[in-house]
Amino acid sequence: MGKIKDRYAIVGVGESERSRNSGTTPLHMALDAARAALNDAGLEAKDIDGFMNYNENDSCTSHQLATYLGVRPKYVKDIQGGGSSTEMLIGDAIGLIEARMLNTVLIFRSMNGSSGQRVGRGYDPDMLQSALPGGSYIIPYGSASPSQWFGMFATRHMYETGITKEHLGHVCLSFYEHAQRNPKAFLHGKPLTMEKYLETPDISYPFNIHDSCVELDEANAIIVTSAERANDCKSKPVYIMGMEARQCHPNAHYWADLNQVASDYVGENLFQSAGVKPEDMQVASIYDCFSWVVLRQLEAYGLAPKGEVGEFVADGNLRMDGKLPTNTAGGMLSEGYTHGMNNVLEIVRQLRHEYKGAERQVKDCEIGICTGWSGPDIAGAMILRN
Amino acid sequence: MNGQKPIPLKTQDNQHYWDMADQHELALQKCNDCGKYAHPPGPSCVHCGSTNLTWESLGNNIEATIYSYIISYRPFLPGFQDDLPLIIAQAELKQIPEIKLMCNLLRCNPENVQIGMPVKMIWDDITEDRALPQWVPQEV
Ligand SMILES: [Zn+2]
Repeated sequence: MGKIKDRYAIVGVGESERSRNSGTTPLHMALDAARAALNDAGLEAKDIDGFMNYNENDSCTSHQLATYLGVRPKYVKDIQGGGSSTEMLIGDAIGLIEARMLNTVLIFRSMNGSSGQRVGRGYDPDMLQSALPGGSYIIPYGSASPSQWFGMFATRHMYETGITKEHLGHVCLSFYEHAQRNPKAFLHGKPLTMEKYLETPDISYPFNIHDSCVELDEANAIIVTSAERANDCKSKPVYIMGMEARQCHPNAHYWADLNQVASDYVGENLFQSAGVKPEDMQVASIYDCFSWVVLRQLEAYGLAPKGEVGEFVADGNLRMDGKLPTNTAGGMLSEGYTHGMNNVLEIVRQLRHEYKGAERQVKDCEIGICTGWSGPDIAGAMILRN
Repeated sequence: MNGQKPIPLKTQDNQHYWDMADQHELALQKCNDCGKYAHPPGPSCVHCGSTNLTWESLGNNIEATIYSYIISYRPFLPGFQDDLPLIIAQAELKQIPEIKLMCNLLRCNPENVQIGMPVKMIWDDITEDRALPQWVPQEV
């Protein structure tokens, strides 16, 4: 992807209201998010010729969104996905623009993640056994929640690397601290201390409620176009320097091989395509469905020295004055959860210096990394600059 | 509440595993081309894509060591309300270390579970004709 470096940009970001109970449909929320992103970019709906979406059968379609924005685009696409789908759809959008099929693409994620279908509570057992790959080997043992699947990987990794419960706590504390500067974060006004973190009983060891993302009703939208067209937009473009994705571990839920982690294979090509190094990153959005996932990705992308990831976060490096301010709106652990897209919105705003003068602005940041993690099976990441 | 627990669903790809489990034996899928095992089983080899697959029976004396585990304090499925805290553990097979097999760890206080702990497989008769492999500590 070296050829496309800096030739495409994110020009619009927007979100709907965020709540425990939206009282409305994913279509209504998607419309709110899309209009906000269009307004942010200074574009009209008719300027968008491609609409894309990822979902878990819990969203409206791209066709519906375009229809009720009153437009008839060339291209609509809906994929099943979650972690890293934002990055991959941005990659798809770039490919279609590069092929001259499209000019400007809007990508959205809309879900009643709290009041509707909720991931963390588990699913219907009969549906799950046939729907999940390897389901017959998971469900009969009472394992139906991502916290249980991720936890299995986390326990072993923690054992091998010496990462402790306190280290997980430092990830949570850092992100909760960011959330206190973000009035729109769901856990704004609910700071966390290490004492409180360690006192909180586990839901599923090694995770307690703070280690898990906040499941909410919310929609996010992002607009991608070429660098030339970006010049005509109202917003300050954030350029895509490089992208990379990877499929890996042979099962999507039955995770037993710690040596097969998709993220481990993404970093090298990612940094090469962008022509930068891990140490050049000044701000980060690291996929954080669970606290531990952040630690594992810091290791995978070389953002912290291997074997010292726990110390890296304990030293406060994810905080505003740390080496790598991360998930600065609070992340999925404390801001909101749209399978990663809210973290992309935030890094775009940081790189635009949209919070200039406020405490929450990462000072003078110019380059940042954004990672997606579906599990050890799928990862995607991109490097952005202003 | 036990009756409400999900019973392993036999499919085209996993039928032999569960048929053998019902007879209190462990069988694993093996690739004749690359020689590797795969679990859970599938329509072809996850390592090389070959369809030249076979089932290898490992009998009923299955020893292993705990590779990883979680302890759930909440039921995420019906039928598990009375089993909390529930230990779900992957154990590395002594005979085939590359295979980590996931079951519940029964007859073990959650405070005592640890990685490296020796376990053995038992088969829990969950219905008249179905059995579910489980881990128990070797000490018991
Ligand atoms: Zn093979």
